Amino acid sequence: MIPRWITIAYLAYLAAPIVLLFVGSFGDLWLNTLLPTGATVRWYAEVAADPSFRRAFSASLFVAVMTCAACVAIGLPLGYAVFRARSARVRALARMLYQLPVALPPLVLAFGFILVFSSDALPWLGSVWLLIAGHIVLGLPYFLQTVVSDMQRLGLRTLEDAAESLGSSGLQRFLHVVLPALRHSVLSGLIVVAALSIGEFQFSNLVSGFLNRTYPVVLLQAFYGATGFACAATVILLALALTASVTGALSARGTARFATARAGR
Amino acid sequence: MNGPPAVRLQDVSFRYPGGAAGVFDIGLEIAPGELVVCIGPSGCGKTTLLRLIAGFLRVDAGRVELGGRDVTAATVRSRECGVVFQSYALFPHMSVRANVAYPLRVRKVEVGARERRAEAMLELVDLAGFGDRLPGELSGGQQQRVALARALVFEPRALLLDEPLSALDAATRLTMRDEIRRIQKRQNIASLLITHDQDEALSLADRVAVLRDGRLVQVATPQEIYDHPADAFVANFVGRANLIDGEVVAGDAVDTPIGRLAVPARSQPPGTRVRLLVRPERILPQPAAGGENVFAAAVVHDRFFGANREIELAVGRGSLKVETTVRGEITHVHVPRDAVQFLSPP
Repeated sequence: MIPRWITIAYLAYLAAPIVLLFVGSFGDLWLNTLLPTGATVRWYAEVAADPSFRRAFSASLFVAVMTCAACVAIGLPLGYAVFRARSARVRALARMLYQLPVALPPLVLAFGFILVFSSDALPWLGSVWLLIAGHIVLGLPYFLQTVVSDMQRLGLRTLEDAAESLGSSGLQRFLHVVLPALRHSVLSGLIVVAALSIGEFQFSNLVSGFLNRTYPVVLLQAFYGATGFACAATVILLALALTASVTGALSARGTARFATARAGR
Repeated sequence: MNGPPAVRLQDVSFRYPGGAAGVFDIGLEIAPGELVVCIGPSGCGKTTLLRLIAGFLRVDAGRVELGGRDVTAATVRSRECGVVFQSYALFPHMSVRANVAYPLRVRKVEVGARERRAEAMLELVDLAGFGDRLPGELSGGQQQRVALARALVFEPRALLLDEPLSALDAATRLTMRDEIRRIQKRQNIASLLITHDQDEALSLADRVAVLRDGRLVQVATPQEIYDHPADAFVANFVGRANLIDGEVVAGDAVDTPIGRLAVPARSQPPGTRVRLLVRPERILPQPAAGGENVFAAAVVHDRFFGANREIELAVGRGSLKVETTVRGEITHVHVPRDAVQFLSPP
């Protein structure tokens, strides 16, 4: 009985802010009352009409998609190399290294980026690519973790041995066995990376240039305005994160299917 | 025998880098159509041996031949051995048919032909109609059949099975054991099966190869291995054994902890230390004392298995394991003289 009540209470605690955001975004007036009065969709119209929000929306999507693509391009070979490393010590060390950014506050990373990339030698601060580079550092550990543990769970090594004994070349093994067998974990890894990239604030706030500010950075301004406007903008962020996750997932699936199909008949 | 052996290992040695484990001075031949079962305790190098033949490992010294061709330096792909893994190693994202057809796909066999051959292979392993399933939807035994079909479909030079039955439950294991034998004979392919299960080895093999600490101790037919084990290790590892140490008192008598044993005559000077082997099922319970090699016995352990009993007896200052169908009380046992054989000490 008691565990059930704890569960219900916790779920309510989790859901309340999100539910309130929804309610608030459709409320006309919200001042010092528990719930807003009146119903309207004008806040959404206002956010949609706001040029800085529009630009931030597409900037965020672009950054998320690029981060995902880079995570696959870098993470898959890297994870594979770590998994196939012969020495157990090397594997453990590599794992520690790539997990390191998880412990790193994004703020620290941002300061580092500012120091390095505001110099005359590397004057890239403010470029959207630098922003993407930072998001890769933050997202890659989660991607690698998912993919490498899946390699172990699948017994990828034995699968490859089997394929090799059946006459499969190195490239064929990668295209026929490794890639398709990993498609599920690549997918779930990308969902995490996309959600992380969309919601990231600390790093993006400091490193993004004025013209490519991401959505959360712009969202901060909304909190100084009307409550309904802020709520609507936040709900959109939520939707954006969901969309990015789903898009990331679908595109990864498409890529895997494409690779399998090409390698196929 | 006509033609070269399908598999030939000549003075093969391999040592894992940075360790003492490996295999040493292995000489083994597998004739076309022959099934050799390699048996030994865990860590003795059985799987290493298999991986050396398949090419996953390269020998440090010696020579590997397949069908008379030297493949010592050849790649895994070019060796064309069908390998069946303990974990089946089916590709989880491919249908059963695609799994079986895979070796033909990488050999660029045309789609229609390879699907037909895969289907025929599935029929051979009794899985006709399962082609569209995914491996995850099959039972362990069925998955192992798919693995077998996949390893055979490209007509490999040899079939290598790495503990193919150990991941299966007891009932499935017995069925699969017969299945492997049937399919292997039907395809008439030289095969090496790795196991640590003596029943598997004795019932499946044309010849059994006993491996210990990376060395082949004995290679012989199952019956030869059981009846005339090369040493105490083989005697103990294959079948149950009474190993009795003693001292020769005359050409046909040995003093042992269980008493003075009459043994088959052998010219050995008195005082020689010897080790004797008596199989438990050769010892006969007897109602009373009297006669050659009859000893009073006290039951220490009595396990009933339905058809027979496995009994441990205290005899003299020693003990004997006995396997018998006799149901009643046991007070004396008879050790027939011809059931006693000499072993070289380990």
